[in-house]
Amino acid sequence: MIDLASPAALATPVTRAPGLVMDLERLGSFNATRLSFARTLIRVMGRQRWQISCDLFDLNTHGHGEVIYRVQTPNGRYHVVIFSQPLDDALRSDRVIADAWDITFGLVEGDVEEALMQSLAENIPLQEAGRQHPRLLVISRANKSVRNFETVVTDLATGVQPSLESFTEGGYLYRTTAVYGNGKFGIADYGRLRTNPDFRHPFSAQMTAVYVLRQFSIDQVEFLARSRAPETAIALAQPLKRYLGIGNSTGLGMAPFLINHPQLIDQWVHAREQALAIAKSQPPDELARDRLLILGRRAQQFFKETTVEDADQQGRNQMVVAELEGIIDWLEQIPLDLDLWQQLTDWAEAALSLESQELINGLLIELYPQYVDFLEDAMAVEERMELTPDMPLVQLKQLIETHFDWALAEDFDTPEASHWFWYRSIEKEEPRLGVRGIDPGAEKELSLAVAPRVKRTYGKISEYLEQNPRSLTVEFLMAEPSFVDIVRRIQTMAATAYGEIRANLWHRDMRPIHLLRTKLSFLGANRFDPRGDRWVRVTFFQGAPLIEELNNEPADLTAFDDWSFPLAPTSLKQQETYESLL
Amino acid sequence: MKVSFNELQAVSRKAFMGIGFSEGHAEDAADMVTWMESYDLHGLDALNKGLEHLIADNPATLPTIVYQDGDVAVVNGQDLSVLRSCNLALELAFAKGRARGLSVIKIQRCRQRQLIMGYLARLAGRGMNLTAFWRNAQQPLTEQVVGFRANSTVPSIRVYSVEEVPEENEPNNGITIIMANHVDLLPTMRSDYRYDLLAKHEEADLLAARERAMTNGIEVDDVVWEQLHKLAQATLVESFDVSHLGAGPAD
Repeated sequence: MIDLASPAALATPVTRAPGLVMDLERLGSFNATRLSFARTLIRVMGRQRWQISCDLFDLNTHGHGEVIYRVQTPNGRYHVVIFSQPLDDALRSDRVIADAWDITFGLVEGDVEEALMQSLAENIPLQEAGRQHPRLLVISRANKSVRNFETVVTDLATGVQPSLESFTEGGYLYRTTAVYGNGKFGIADYGRLRTNPDFRHPFSAQMTAVYVLRQFSIDQVEFLARSRAPETAIALAQPLKRYLGIGNSTGLGMAPFLINHPQLIDQWVHAREQALAIAKSQPPDELARDRLLILGRRAQQFFKETTVEDADQQGRNQMVVAELEGIIDWLEQIPLDLDLWQQLTDWAEAALSLESQELINGLLIELYPQYVDFLEDAMAVEERMELTPDMPLVQLKQLIETHFDWALAEDFDTPEASHWFWYRSIEKEEPRLGVRGIDPGAEKELSLAVAPRVKRTYGKISEYLEQNPRSLTVEFLMAEPSFVDIVRRIQTMAATAYGEIRANLWHRDMRPIHLLRTKLSFLGANRFDPRGDRWVRVTFFQGAPLIEELNNEPADLTAFDDWSFPLAPTSLKQQETYESLL
Repeated sequence: MKVSFNELQAVSRKAFMGIGFSEGHAEDAADMVTWMESYDLHGLDALNKGLEHLIADNPATLPTIVYQDGDVAVVNGQDLSVLRSCNLALELAFAKGRARGLSVIKIQRCRQRQLIMGYLARLAGRGMNLTAFWRNAQQPLTEQVVGFRANSTVPSIRVYSVEEVPEENEPNNGITIIMANHVDLLPTMRSDYRYDLLAKHEEADLLAARERAMTNGIEVDDVVWEQLHKLAQATLVESFDVSHLGAGPAD
């Protein structure tokens, strides 16, 4: 538990109730905040003066070949090695079962000697089918956003800045389809990163690789434009470079993580909730109100400019735009009462959509970096679920009643409550959803649905207690050993507030997309564009400072960090800059 | 070939589930094997030697408590691998140790005893001092003692052969574990009988092995790796038309 050191706080910050926060639909309305890993990474990079340079740029005129970027931190040196290869249009696929991509890449610890480069060249392009080197911290792959990519290259080659239309839809030239860390396919274990001062924050190695890929996408289109028309080609305008991010396409493969790492999720959500509680407990002043108004208008403009294919999400975004209008009006007029932020969140909770509520919460966190940024170091945890074998069984039963009442309240015997089952497909061993009673594979169900397991455990414990009222947990488990993992989980998670997502993952109306968005928001994604219920496209690092800005060792780290809800360069302050370039 | 710690753990867990372990037991068994392998204590060799037998074990057979009081328990391991039978027996001893300060458990009739070290490490990590003793019925007779200090996950191990021992006819394929809340139980060789020390694993060597495993990966035999993958396949569902929907958006 982190002590709150906030001298200006009005009162002891109070975090929200787990029952409210851990509702799946609410989690599925989260946006990135300043504590999200992409934001934290950029702050750390700026603060520690990381330097990123290109060591090798060996591409042919089609843009195929090898490129290496060096990442120098105060503690170590790393390299992002990228392999760009020809890809038949028919083979370009976001599907996890794809086996060829436009580019494949990896983040290497240390230098890239010839022998290592040879091994990387033989294996990284194969991704899952390769045997990856243990000095690789991350491997990933990406496909071009073909239409945008070609338009941008053609425009630059003819000496014209690309139109904004090429950027506003997704805001990227490349889209990753998986970013692997933690020992996958032979790469380094997370255990090694835990003690690495550069990558001790969760997913910071993955985010670093993606951030460097963004630079590659810029360098590659400029190179291709120059190759095609050396006489007329121009470089991409700086505001447009900044407006470029990296896309990501994510599917059900991400869902088990949220369920299988409840201690980590508890840590993440707890940090976010602590930050919100700290922010809400601050006495508002004109400066903070003005800042909130600026952030609110920027977020509103961002959602106005965001177009997504999914009609439901588009509707939710439009709702945010409309509701933000009301909030901005209200904020402009309301007196600066000491509990203004509490009034704001109370109103939001009572009257606004979940999207708007969580957006406001994120903006409030943004107001007080001096009081909340210490929480970026509270995101990692050593995960260990342990049994308390000597716990009286009756106490275990009471723990379930107290902490898992939401699971006991559900009736899992109705067809709609047990509609889905989760399984792992033979295709790349990816998780999938099947319909119980219709699709094959229910006998191999993954135990991701925690709620029905808790309820079943509760029933078994109650039966056992009737015969053995004074028994210990371990005695119950000696008789019913298959319950050991769920009992361990119940005992461990009862001591936490936010680890368990309070949803029935079997239920017909359950939307897996909410699980994906939960994690993606903590990673720092924006522009959520669901493709049905099981897939979502997002963008990372759009609006983030460029590597050239990082290398210039920014003097104003506050401005360097201020890149949430990026606007098209024609909007607001950037408008003049862009027009002067046209 | 080289694999990562996480990879070995994940594939082993699926392999154990593939041969009928419940999810919790599969997790524990995978942790036990991977823990040994990461300290270069040959967990996969130990697993591989008894794999056929392990696959043939009836998953419904459970270890049973033969005797217990506040301090002592005797558990019949039913001739099962310790991977199937020991985690909860050890938890029983742990509960007694916590309550009484010291506990002794004898797990009779169990196989692959070497692999128990992985679970002992876990209990030591929870603040328990412990030592385990077992005897291998071979000529010359060898004995193995493994001790953990509370809150240390690195054991002290002694393996030695003894010749001048009283005759006994009782089969001894069990394992005896002593747990103590407050007293260090690390093995120190002291004997009036002649013995030959066959192996002595010191903390520093084991930690160095662990560091190597985390830096360079873990070397595994290709055939064993293949076998684990094959067993893990039993947890996967064959592809069918509708299942493709979960593989991503249509192109």
